[in-house]
Amino acid sequence: MNVMGIIFTNDASLGQLTNERTMASLPFGGRYRQVDFALSNLAAAGIRHIGIISRHNYQSLMNHIGAGEEWGLELEEGGLEYLTPFSMSTTDIYRGKLDALHSVMGFLEYGDEDEYVVMIDSAIISNIDLKHVIKCHIESGKDITVVTKTGIANGKKQLDLAVKVDDKGEATDIGVDYVAPADYLASMDIFVLSKKWLVKQIKEHIARNLFHMDRDLVLGLWQKNAATINVYQFPGIAMYNESIEEYYHNSLALIDKKVRHDMFGYNHPVFTRVRDRVPSFYGENCEIENCVVADGCILEGEVENSILFRNVTICEGAEVEDCIIMNDTIVGEGAKLKYVILDKDITVRPNATLCGTPNNPIVVKRGDTV
Amino acid sequence: MFFQKKRCIAMLLAGGQGSRLKVLTENTAKPAVPFGGKYRIIDFPLSNCVNSGIDTVGILTQYQPLELNEYIGNGQPWGLNKTHSCAQVLPPYERHDKKSGWYKGTANAIYQNIDFIDRFDPEYVVVLSGDHIYKMDYADMVAYHEKHNASCTIAVRTVPLEEASRFGILNTNPDNSIYEFEEKPKVPKSTNASMGIYVFNWSILREALINDEEDPDSSNDFGKNIIPTLLNAGHKMMAYIFDGYWKDVGTIDSLWEANMELLGKDPEFDIRGDERSKIYARNSALPSSYIDEEARTVNCFIAEGSEVYGTVRHSVISVGCTIGADALVEDSVVMPGVVIEPGAIVRHAILGENSRVGKNAVVGGAFKAGEKKKISVTSKGAVVEANTVLLPGDML
Repeated sequence: MNVMGIIFTNDASLGQLTNERTMASLPFGGRYRQVDFALSNLAAAGIRHIGIISRHNYQSLMNHIGAGEEWGLELEEGGLEYLTPFSMSTTDIYRGKLDALHSVMGFLEYGDEDEYVVMIDSAIISNIDLKHVIKCHIESGKDITVVTKTGIANGKKQLDLAVKVDDKGEATDIGVDYVAPADYLASMDIFVLSKKWLVKQIKEHIARNLFHMDRDLVLGLWQKNAATINVYQFPGIAMYNESIEEYYHNSLALIDKKVRHDMFGYNHPVFTRVRDRVPSFYGENCEIENCVVADGCILEGEVENSILFRNVTICEGAEVEDCIIMNDTIVGEGAKLKYVILDKDITVRPNATLCGTPNNPIVVKRGDTV
Repeated sequence: MFFQKKRCIAMLLAGGQGSRLKVLTENTAKPAVPFGGKYRIIDFPLSNCVNSGIDTVGILTQYQPLELNEYIGNGQPWGLNKTHSCAQVLPPYERHDKKSGWYKGTANAIYQNIDFIDRFDPEYVVVLSGDHIYKMDYADMVAYHEKHNASCTIAVRTVPLEEASRFGILNTNPDNSIYEFEEKPKVPKSTNASMGIYVFNWSILREALINDEEDPDSSNDFGKNIIPTLLNAGHKMMAYIFDGYWKDVGTIDSLWEANMELLGKDPEFDIRGDERSKIYARNSALPSSYIDEEARTVNCFIAEGSEVYGTVRHSVISVGCTIGADALVEDSVVMPGVVIEPGAIVRHAILGENSRVGKNAVVGGAFKAGEKKKISVTSKGAVVEANTVLLPGDML
């Protein structure tokens, strides 16, 4: 059985964090980028033909993934393809996923041997066994499998796609862009479909100027009884990094052992680009508590309840609490940071003080000096 | 691999057993022994090659090569898997004539791989060994060799006179040309110790290897045979003086010391260095490390995938280790995948890969300043049972 993967890199709404990068290349968890989870999920399921659909700001993404060596995807046949606007049939920015898929029809139709397509996003991350999802899709005999998660819908968060199911797991209601009550399941933006069926639907939808995956293809066809929906409920952890607040809380959640082990070792390892940094060095007077620390750091100060990415320097006398500090950042002597997200390459001057709140962490832009 | 003429290639001698590392090399070759948290000894000469612009490396293996072969793989971590580059593992093999068999000595190992070297038709061959920790730009040494129009150049470092009789000593003229080589001299005439790093003109080395092979009394060794023979034949040989950090990690004590010398704010060996002297290693896909609320981490290296709940002082913790709550690790080298259970105490020890120290067990001990430190060692996968003691200097 041959399966192709399509990764959407998602432009997102994380303010300054995603102004100059796609959601896919947003750093997460100390040494990863969001896309590493999607790529590792696909690679672990033995999927060897993967297209990455990206609208703009994809340079840092290409730099990160390269030929896909770290994921074992640097292949002669199949492998990775970057589907950027200029490789598409129109150079217009697409309006919805179906539009994007339509513009890469050449990629979709290439290779007759692929029977199924797995579509996956970069904003919602998980460590999921896609082999099992594909198996369940085939066994269900239905047209579309929507991968979902309980506990995300809460009557406050707007979901791209929400599904209510009965006792047998059959969909009884579907909402799009819906602030769903807690008894709905949230879509993880992972879909499994037969390729032939998908290609046919894309052509028909685009011909009628319908381009929205969730609204037109899933909800639209389901309402008209023109498609059957299989709802897959993922038992593991799914992190919806769709706002700065969610990103912040999901990042800090990694401090919990169970969450960390679920995200990084539940089904398979998560691969990322190797940077060959030395192990992190902990100085004579450092106090590090409850932290997730990547490689290459030099830690001389106090850090509590924080996530430190690669090559971060915390000077003596600095105090860092409840922070996320990305690559190559230096926190100077005596600086105090609480509830702060520091993007890459930031210099925090000695004795500077920054303090946000848990629900509104301060975000410092890449390359800034504070 | 596309065979084109190369100016310079390297041959890395990685076949030795390293018997002085005792239990650490029972099942693995010395170059594959872990070092510095995420490296293996062979990463140093290999990364030096890459950083010196040498993209073709033959790696001679013999003793327990499984792990080493697996580690080197296709050379990808060092960028040696490209069209014009390679990291080629060269084990002993059977030949049509009677000249095959196990590598009899360092020179014989290269002799048996003349065909490999000939494919690149190099001007120079750098001969390295896989048991030293250092960072060196071999390109500088080759340029020096070329400038002096030498047949052979040997890297040397200055050792204290009282220790000189433990080394191969090169006696030099004021212009650093070598007039005499003495293996472990009782009365040393100089303090220039050979580092076991050689640059040869390939045509000259090739001939010397063939002649040496025909001498039934030769032990086919670079230090004992090839170097003295070339000297006696009147070849110009130069000493290349290296004053950076260099450590032979061939014994338990020196391996422990070299790890400890990475520590501190101003370490003796700055493994971090700059981009151009980066050490590359095969990476394991492990997440970031985790330091618990109750953990204490003082003057130590902690590599990826490790979880620390106890206290770590003046130690190197490698990838994928767990240090349990209320455990104490001090002045120790903890190799990859080691589990130290809650309440255990580990001092002055080297814990081999994937070994385990049970609850409340005690490994090693403390020493007074100036007292000879006896290092306790666990072999790969060994288990120190809960509530038991592994005495200072003992091995398991």
